[in-house]
Amino acid sequence: MIQIAEQIRSGWCVVEIRGRADAETAEELERALRSAIGQHPKVAADFVAVDYISSAGLRAVLQAGRAAQERQAEFTVCRVRGPVKKVFEVSGMHHVLRIEEDLPC
Amino acid sequence: MAEEVAWFCEENDLDAEVEFDLNLAMEELFTNALRHGGCEGMKEAVQIRLERGEGRVEAQFSDRGPEFNPATVPPPKLELSLADRTLGGLGLHLVRRAMGDLAYCRSEGWNHVSMRRPV
Repeated sequence: MIQIAEQIRSGWCVVEIRGRADAETAEELERALRSAIGQHPKVAADFVAVDYISSAGLRAVLQAGRAAQERQAEFTVCRVRGPVKKVFEVSGMHHVLRIEEDLPC
Repeated sequence: MAEEVAWFCEENDLDAEVEFDLNLAMEELFTNALRHGGCEGMKEAVQIRLERGEGRVEAQFSDRGPEFNPATVPPPKLELSLADRTLGGLGLHLVRRAMGDLAYCRSEGWNHVSMRRPV
């Protein structure tokens, strides 16, 4: 189960994600992030309410990162917490994505 | 599957971190069995056994796909750039980080992967 909403704040499109980023929801997550990146030059994925992630969810975020690189859009992943943060760390996400403690706006 | 893991953790007084790791390991192995292990569309293709031991949880994931030992999969190259990074191997890497070493055996047409997580 995943819920995704978008908000525009100070020139950033903030994609608020809530719930589980797993094999069942990864496609929806990737679609939402790609759509935001296609429409906005600055996109922040807010992970504060994500309580579970697996490699399928990470893959969705990595693909979004690639899409942002191709479009030369700014893409940042923010407020990753708890065990989800641990999964990001052991997967080396910080090598390839901009990960921030707080929202940029 | 997540509901059953949650039930097992509640029954055995295991915390949210253990539940997270068990969920992660079981999802990754299940997804691999379906997508790469030839179990897609197969009836009763997988079995999961969770057992509470002294100071640990023992988990066994079994599937009826062709023989495949996940312990032979090399770790992913995490330091590569976004463009060069391949996405394979990440799931098994997460299983190892969550549960420790994987023990594998093949028996009567089943792959069995056993793990132990201290609690």
